[in-house]
Amino acid sequence: MMTVEEQIFQNSIQQPNHIALIAGDEQVTYAQLWERCLLAATNVRQKFNLQKGDRVILAAAANIDFIYAYFGIHLAGGVCVPIDPDTNETRFGHIFTSTQPVCVMGTLHKVECTTVPFNELLTECNETLPFVQPDPEQLGDMLFTTGTTGVPKGVALNIKNLAAAALNINTFIKNTEEDIELLALPVSHSFGLGRVRCVLTKGGTLVLLGTFANIKKFFSEMERCHVTGFGMVPASWGYIKKMSGKYIGKFADQLKYIEIGSSFMPIEDKKLLCELLPNTRINMHYGLTEASRSAFMEFHSEYDRLDTAGKASPKVEVAIFDANGKKLGVNEEGEVCVKGDHVTCSYWNETPERFAKDFFDGYFRTGDCGYLDADGYIHLKSRIKEMINVGGKKVSPMEVEDILNTIPGIEDSACIAIPDPEGVLGEVVKAFIVCKDNELTDAEIINQLRPKLEVYKLPVAIERISEIPKTASGKVQRLKLKK
Amino acid sequence: MDTLEKIIEIVASTCEVEKSEVTESSMVGDFPAWDSVGHLTILSNVEEAFDISFEPEEMMEIEDVKDIVEAVNAKL
Repeated sequence: MMTVEEQIFQNSIQQPNHIALIAGDEQVTYAQLWERCLLAATNVRQKFNLQKGDRVILAAAANIDFIYAYFGIHLAGGVCVPIDPDTNETRFGHIFTSTQPVCVMGTLHKVECTTVPFNELLTECNETLPFVQPDPEQLGDMLFTTGTTGVPKGVALNIKNLAAAALNINTFIKNTEEDIELLALPVSHSFGLGRVRCVLTKGGTLVLLGTFANIKKFFSEMERCHVTGFGMVPASWGYIKKMSGKYIGKFADQLKYIEIGSSFMPIEDKKLLCELLPNTRINMHYGLTEASRSAFMEFHSEYDRLDTAGKASPKVEVAIFDANGKKLGVNEEGEVCVKGDHVTCSYWNETPERFAKDFFDGYFRTGDCGYLDADGYIHLKSRIKEMINVGGKKVSPMEVEDILNTIPGIEDSACIAIPDPEGVLGEVVKAFIVCKDNELTDAEIINQLRPKLEVYKLPVAIERISEIPKTASGKVQRLKLKK
Repeated sequence: MDTLEKIIEIVASTCEVEKSEVTESSMVGDFPAWDSVGHLTILSNVEEAFDISFEPEEMMEIEDVKDIVEAVNAKL
């Protein structure tokens, strides 16, 4: 398997004048991209004495210079630690202390820290480093999880993991060098950064936008650059829909593909996308930072399975295990586990013995609960640790949320366990809802839930909040609601 | 208070910046807090302050303070 860097190098030879990157008025060809990545590699070695395995924190924003720095650091043997430019002081302190970087690059908005601008790596040198294929086992990226479980955890991905993920994704989505992708996702996260690798390994063109916030620009760039695809999380679609209604349908003949990130997406939204974009390949993935895009589904061709998380991605195996590590059969509920070259090689600063506990028989334990049906489709039920135990009966918060979200007036919801106020059942369900309908009473909500849920699954408390806390990739942070 | 002044006040308070930092040409992304959530909050606060309601086709044309002023004035 060729590394991501080797594939970009090959593209620079085979199609040197093809446009790799567009940002505003600036366009960069594959030949220029490669030359500047080598220049960045040379500079990071010379200026920061970067040695193999050294870490560099990148306050990652979707700009061209970031892309050179990212690949340049890999070429120089370093490890990229991409973080959100809005990272707060506590989180940054943790990441900094834990990784001991040779430098911090980019711009941080909420932290006082000396940083190096990305373009510092583009200083002209007399001689650039020759291209040396990165060692597949060398660490390439370290992504700190957003803390759904508390302390940020450094997920280490080696060069092989990164190449494997890109290959699996491109195989499923069927990307080609003719693709022109609009990147509005944050590049500090697995999904957005993964899109960069996918497009550039295939020799396509990446249009850097960085955010969906400016919807006018999103559509004008789509038109100006003849964009053929983009990635988004379900929350992005919620935003696009609110801000522009069905306008995206005007691009039905232009958009070849969309990739959607893994978090809850109402079936109605999936069907609406199918209706608006009848000829677009709409791919939704299931995955996590540790095992990027482990499963996929395509909305049109798998229209009757929209309620599932799809099937194992190409070259990935998915299996269900019980708590004792026994592999379960069809329709048996347990922990979703995945196997493949894309699976994280380690957690930063963790012993191999501890890391081994995250696996059952070579399969990585995702922490998600679900089952596989006879056709191999994954049915997700819940995060295991978020299961609500009502008098010994397990309640999946996602199940209650899915029904809450269908009630007219409720825009979003999240359920957690609270101690039973009656002191009988141990835990009971509490629902947090984002509700625009002031007339909708708690009693009415319960009345609507009652026919669809067992009594023990009904929320005993309902609280109205303005927004459900989510990670940048759109996963509900239920632990935050427990505070 | 005229429309522009009121909108600048809303943008400044939502983005947690001084009013003096916001101008007619300030746009989405100019302040860290003016992201998609910030943008929705600004538009919803504007709707409430002027007792108006934006349609999606109006919202998708808004990217800066000037656009908000024009959208509001068109409805008053």
